[in-house]
Amino acid sequence: MDPGELEFITQGAEAQLYMTIFLGFKSIVKYRVPKPYRHPDFDKLFRYRRTLIEARIMSHLKILGLNVPAIYFADPDHGLIIMEYIDGHRLSDCLSELSRDDIIRYALSLGRQTSIMHKNTIYHGDLTIANTIIANDKLYIIDFGLAGYSRDLEEYAIDIHLLSRSIEALYPELHDLFMEYFWKGYMEIAGKEFTAKLKDKVRDIRLRGRYVEERLRRKISRERYM
Amino acid sequence: MVNVDIQNLFVVQGKEKALEKIVVLGIESTSHTFGVGIAAIIDGEPKILVNEYSKYVPEKGGIHPREASQHHMVKAPMVLRNALDKSGIKLKNIDAVAVALGPGLGPCLRVGASIARFISSYYGKPLVPVNHAVAHIEIGKLVNKLSDPLVVYVSGGNTLVSIQRRRRYRVLGETLDMPLGNLLDTFAREIGLAPPYVVGGKHQVDICAEWGKEFIDLPYTVKGNDLSFSGLLTAALKKARQARNKVELGNVCLSFRETAFNMVVEVAERGLALTRKKEVLLTGGVAANEYLNSKLDKMAGLHNARFYTVPHGYAGDNGAMIAWTGLLLYVHGVTIDPLKAFVRQRWRLDEVDLPWIPEN
Repeated sequence: MDPGELEFITQGAEAQLYMTIFLGFKSIVKYRVPKPYRHPDFDKLFRYRRTLIEARIMSHLKILGLNVPAIYFADPDHGLIIMEYIDGHRLSDCLSELSRDDIIRYALSLGRQTSIMHKNTIYHGDLTIANTIIANDKLYIIDFGLAGYSRDLEEYAIDIHLLSRSIEALYPELHDLFMEYFWKGYMEIAGKEFTAKLKDKVRDIRLRGRYVEERLRRKISRERYM
Repeated sequence: MVNVDIQNLFVVQGKEKALEKIVVLGIESTSHTFGVGIAAIIDGEPKILVNEYSKYVPEKGGIHPREASQHHMVKAPMVLRNALDKSGIKLKNIDAVAVALGPGLGPCLRVGASIARFISSYYGKPLVPVNHAVAHIEIGKLVNKLSDPLVVYVSGGNTLVSIQRRRRYRVLGETLDMPLGNLLDTFAREIGLAPPYVVGGKHQVDICAEWGKEFIDLPYTVKGNDLSFSGLLTAALKKARQARNKVELGNVCLSFRETAFNMVVEVAERGLALTRKKEVLLTGGVAANEYLNSKLDKMAGLHNARFYTVPHGYAGDNGAMIAWTGLLLYVHGVTIDPLKAFVRQRWRLDEVDLPWIPEN
């Protein structure tokens, strides 16, 4: 591939991904495309914000030592980010093909990395198995377009809620195993007390979903005590 | 009249012969609509024979559960009578009676459930329990001849994106607080435009948006595949109260609608990028909204997927969808003892096992 040449890889939900050689490095170009279904003013503001926060947070996480692609270049005005190319497979594509040991290893790794991220007041905002890549025997986290800084426990709990739901939707039979070791890894960094608090919050969020029967039951039993 | 060929739905061992003619009556009363529909399979062809309903329209405010249920009680005999007369079907000749047992408003649900239990016991017909959300999806699949779409279900009670997998509809993303229909109605009501919520087929928010010219920045909350509307509602109402003239109010409406719909479309787009489905189905009461239709249509086009919606009579709550889903369930042997057919106000879409959805 010649420097500057673009090779189309895929069309994601909000961005197009291209491969290129940037300053001699094999790179990914992430271009947030203007969407024809959005009001032009909305579109401009939206793409600017998402691009800026993504580049900022990924650089921060790289410095913290997480497995995330390195940012080489960012231009929020044009919705453009150039970052390191990670050659691997999305966990959402290969989870059921992995051995039990590998699933446990990656679940632990994701738990630890998520925990470090949260400890530094960063939430991912879209932590699904489609946003994790297995490469060089390591688990990478990608796509920080919905990420942000917050000290609110709620945001961290939503990360985990989303992860759990994405596994439930795609591989219901592997959900319990994966989450068990995810939490184990998470607790190693965050400690018992914080993890327990977070687990409660995750449960709260699940119950907030519409028409969850458990919520109704809980409410009724509470009223009984009053 | 619907007429499609979806034989693969009816692969039931030992039942092929009985499929020559099956007639199922369906009763819907989960919220503001009391509806009776009759679905049938005649010579292997699925048909909707009749779709009658009566809608409760509040004079002021939103839906009052007790008043809606009183409306249902008053209108039920007439709606049922009309459905039977128009289709020429007699209650003693139906094969089963289906009823939406949830999710919905308790007082309303009980009206439909009581009538269905009565028909079932008096005429000795099997009773089929139907989940209202499943029915919204199944009727959309029937009229559009779809087998495996990405479902965007938006109504006054639900806002979710779903796919079928492992015997169930799995929820990819949903609202964390209020549903889209509820959001639009509440906003229109609070700024004094509604009721009536819909005028000449157009929602008040759409009418108001036409007065506007400029986009205003409002809170946009997508958390992964889930969304949250409450912050948007609060901010939009605040802006609307500051509006000094029609154009300024129009700007708020335009921006409010733009932001809310973009959130739904983004969640749908995420689901589509994740699952790479080739069909997108919009269903539920808000599926009647043309602006949302055009946004989703454009979005689907970007991912080489085809966009489908449901026609007016089947978009809002209706009895035909309950009858059709009840028929599918009945053919696969799902029935319930009338003595145990309690209503379930909270009965999630993803709690229902559906025999016609493949195991993988």
